[in-house]
Amino acid sequence: MSGLELIDVSKSYGATPVLERVSLSVLPREFIAFLGPSGSGKSTLLRIIAGLETADSGEVWLDGERIDTRSPGARGIAMVFQHYALYPHMTVRENMAFGLRNAGVARDEITRRIAQAADILEIAEQLDKKPGQMSGGQRQRVAIGRAIIKQPRLFLLDEPLSNLDAALRGRTRVELAQLRTRVDAALIMVTHDQAEAMTLADRIVILDDCCIQQVGTPAEVYARPANAFVARFVGSPPMAMLPATIAGEEAGRVCVRLAEGTVLATAVPAGELVAGTEVEVGLRPEHVRLAAPGEAGLAAQVELVERLGDRTFLYAKLEGGAEIIALEPGFGTVRPGDAVTLAIDAPCAHVFTASGAAHHPEPRA
Amino acid sequence: MKGARLHPLVVMALLLGAGVMLAPMVWTLLLSFKSNAALMADSGAAFSGPYTLENYAAILKGSLTLQWLANSLIVATGATVGVLVLSSLAGYGFARLEFPFRRTLFVIVLLGLAVPEQAVILPRHQLFAMLGLHNSYPGLILPSLTGSFGVFFMTQYFRAIPKELDEAALLDGASRFTLFWKVLLPLTFPAQATLGVFTFLAAWNDYWWPLISATTSDRFTLTVGLASAQMNYAQTSGLGFLMAQAVFASIPILVVYIAFQKQIVRAMAGTAVR
Repeated sequence: MSGLELIDVSKSYGATPVLERVSLSVLPREFIAFLGPSGSGKSTLLRIIAGLETADSGEVWLDGERIDTRSPGARGIAMVFQHYALYPHMTVRENMAFGLRNAGVARDEITRRIAQAADILEIAEQLDKKPGQMSGGQRQRVAIGRAIIKQPRLFLLDEPLSNLDAALRGRTRVELAQLRTRVDAALIMVTHDQAEAMTLADRIVILDDCCIQQVGTPAEVYARPANAFVARFVGSPPMAMLPATIAGEEAGRVCVRLAEGTVLATAVPAGELVAGTEVEVGLRPEHVRLAAPGEAGLAAQVELVERLGDRTFLYAKLEGGAEIIALEPGFGTVRPGDAVTLAIDAPCAHVFTASGAAHHPEPRA
Repeated sequence: MKGARLHPLVVMALLLGAGVMLAPMVWTLLLSFKSNAALMADSGAAFSGPYTLENYAAILKGSLTLQWLANSLIVATGATVGVLVLSSLAGYGFARLEFPFRRTLFVIVLLGLAVPEQAVILPRHQLFAMLGLHNSYPGLILPSLTGSFGVFFMTQYFRAIPKELDEAALLDGASRFTLFWKVLLPLTFPAQATLGVFTFLAAWNDYWWPLISATTSDRFTLTVGLASAQMNYAQTSGLGFLMAQAVFASIPILVVYIAFQKQIVRAMAGTAVR
């Protein structure tokens, strides 16, 4: 059993549960992102893997060895902290060497590994500086270097980009993507930024309410969210959820009636969805557009226009009061307050029952 | 304030204040260079020559002043080292380790701040007499180590160090001692310097306990020794000699002030704990 294995990990702080029976398998060299809102337990799970927190119950295995009974330094894990956690009184070289010295690595080997890491991360010039003399981006690289040099079996990254400005964040994101090609280890990154998770991770683990809500590739969690929470959480802007009722079925696929009366013929298999069931219809912005002149659609009033240059998001309200988001290519001419007609790509709509269970459209032929 | 010009009136007031503060010191210095005979004739003779080094020569030749200076150095250094070691260890323990009754013990430490020395001096005297510690260096040093302030001060400083550093060190395979010794302790040097300077000055200037504990003149600290000399200067030593002793005694403390003025100013400004 190689890679990381979490088995029924639970943790609570006093009477407040943080994680409940969380199980997960991470393959060797896989890049996993823990994504979730604040307080979802993603950082706690990372810290349990690192050994900085103790789980109340459950087991953590790495490459076939149980590690939750070992001290943090004996787990073969390296971690990049949110605030870097570089030792301020040590030079970059000393920061990088500290862990290796504790592990009893020979001096020549330490020197060789530092030179190699410094070369990869382009910090060779900074080796004799102290962290206080460096910029945020440089410190981030040193923190990564300190982790690489230990040649760990597993990398943990705790919100590694959250302290960087927008420009540096983009660059560091690319560097992190390159990092994974250079290291022979699995990577787990905690983030609340879904763009980071979507662009970097092989699989995303979405946590909320003490549990894993979904594990899947970025495409899976976006296109086939496991439940209403994931549908709302993943995507920027998020999926619009319109209250509706199952109106019936047509060729084995459900038709839904929106609150303001319009019936949409979805591509969701009817299955257990019976007429009269109250549901929510989920629509991604790219499946809602401005109707062409004369085209039928939903009447809506635009409340907010978000122009991003290459595309524009229109945040509008339907007659029944439901909120919907439409995507318009280019810069657009619509203004807040405009009355518009929105055309919906109904076969792309998702249906969520009251319990949050998801029913996805069948892929188009 | 940098580069701002002070109003001339403010400058005048500051100069006046500085003059008032400096005048006794200058007078002491001048008196120390006058022969006792000249001062017996006219105490105002300090402001005119001839000046002489005979009082300083007398200190170096025959008097107990050098012994008192050594005693003060041993006591102040011993107290400083002891307080720094104990306060750092205790501060680290209170700030970072989990152990039973930690909070209760810390409250007891804080209560220690509220107990005046006068309240414990009698039992302490009796205890030290019983243990035969009077007239010894341990007898002079040990009471300084019981102060709560250092423990409180270092605890607060350790608490201000981000815990991420501990966690990074633990993941780097550091033992608890390596973490304390190589990661956290070096980060407390500013606090150590401040606490060290204050402890050294307090021990150096302490008069009451050495007066009680040191009863033989060869165990006097400078403060007690100088005071004993003042009581009989008219009969034996003379004013010039006494002032030379005072100047001589202030040299080590002056060195401490100059060497650690940054820490002293920072401590006075209350910014030592970031």
